[in-house]
Amino acid sequence: MKWRKFNIAIHRDLGYLCFGLTILYVISGIAVNHIQDWNPTYALEKRVDAIDLGGLDLFDDRAVTTAVLAQLGESGELKNIYRQDASILKIFVVDNNLTVDLDNARVFQEKSNKRPLLYEANFLHLNHAKKLWTWFADLYAFCLGVLAASGILILKGRKGLAGRGKWLVGAGLVIPLFFLWLYC
Amino acid sequence: MNKIVLFIAVLFLFSTQVQAKTDVYGKGVSIAEKTPVSAILDDPDAYIGKPVRVEGMILEVCSKRGCWVYLAGDRQGEKIQVKVVDGEIVFPMSASGRMAVVEGVVEELKMSRQEMIKYMQHLAEEKGQPFDPATVKDERMIRLKGIGAQIEG
Repeated sequence: MKWRKFNIAIHRDLGYLCFGLTILYVISGIAVNHIQDWNPTYALEKRVDAIDLGGLDLFDDRAVTTAVLAQLGESGELKNIYRQDASILKIFVVDNNLTVDLDNARVFQEKSNKRPLLYEANFLHLNHAKKLWTWFADLYAFCLGVLAASGILILKGRKGLAGRGKWLVGAGLVIPLFFLWLYC
Repeated sequence: MNKIVLFIAVLFLFSTQVQAKTDVYGKGVSIAEKTPVSAILDDPDAYIGKPVRVEGMILEVCSKRGCWVYLAGDRQGEKIQVKVVDGEIVFPMSASGRMAVVEGVVEELKMSRQEMIKYMQHLAEEKGQPFDPATVKDERMIRLKGIGAQIEG
């Protein structure tokens, strides 16, 4: 039949078109699925260092900041400084937040680095971009629906939907229903 | 076919360029009048359930989901949490130390002292910072349910 030939062509070309984004979403999907166990977007490094604040006016935020950054070898761009109270000074550098404990001459650092590929994959998958990407992602989701529907209609006969296909489609529907019954 | 590929490439480039220019999150900020954080914390009952606009430096960002930030108040040492629905707004880690204008509805989180200690401990652990349960005195947490934000780039 003519429509089956057309269906195969649609399935084939949409498959090619959706391949890249599907792989990206697979990577992001697995990464985000385990968000309880790790940070899928940023690699965080937390550390505490002792520093020497001797000879410094501890109320001079600029002077303390310059000394702390120099001692730690932190050369990132300074974003801001915040004096929380008499003993805590927060220094914000690009990709690094430093909390200076002036009473104990210690610095807590929280460095964050974007995970290569995963940051970008999650950015798209979780739709942080919003705007035009939302529509593009909707279109992609629609294409996945077409891929699924056209896929089950490719073959006819014993291996088609009328044959074992119906059992596999049924199983694919029952599995999520089972987990809904189990956990909801 | 070449035209289709070119169209998709242009669409992709355009979408990333639009994103790169913006520093508006969620529904943005439409309230013109600023409410000091100190005013909210001094008399929370007068503000609970009301939308407000607050301004300040972002001190902390949720590193896992970007689902909350702490905004510095106008009085030294004071801060307020802005909580957003997971995924609806995602604050990037790079927002810390930036100045922000946030619109949100003041809400109250009532917990037992034990629950509050557990929650504050969780936040401290997430940031890898020391936590002393003795510092927890209040059993109510006043925060903003974030609607939108503008963050200085």
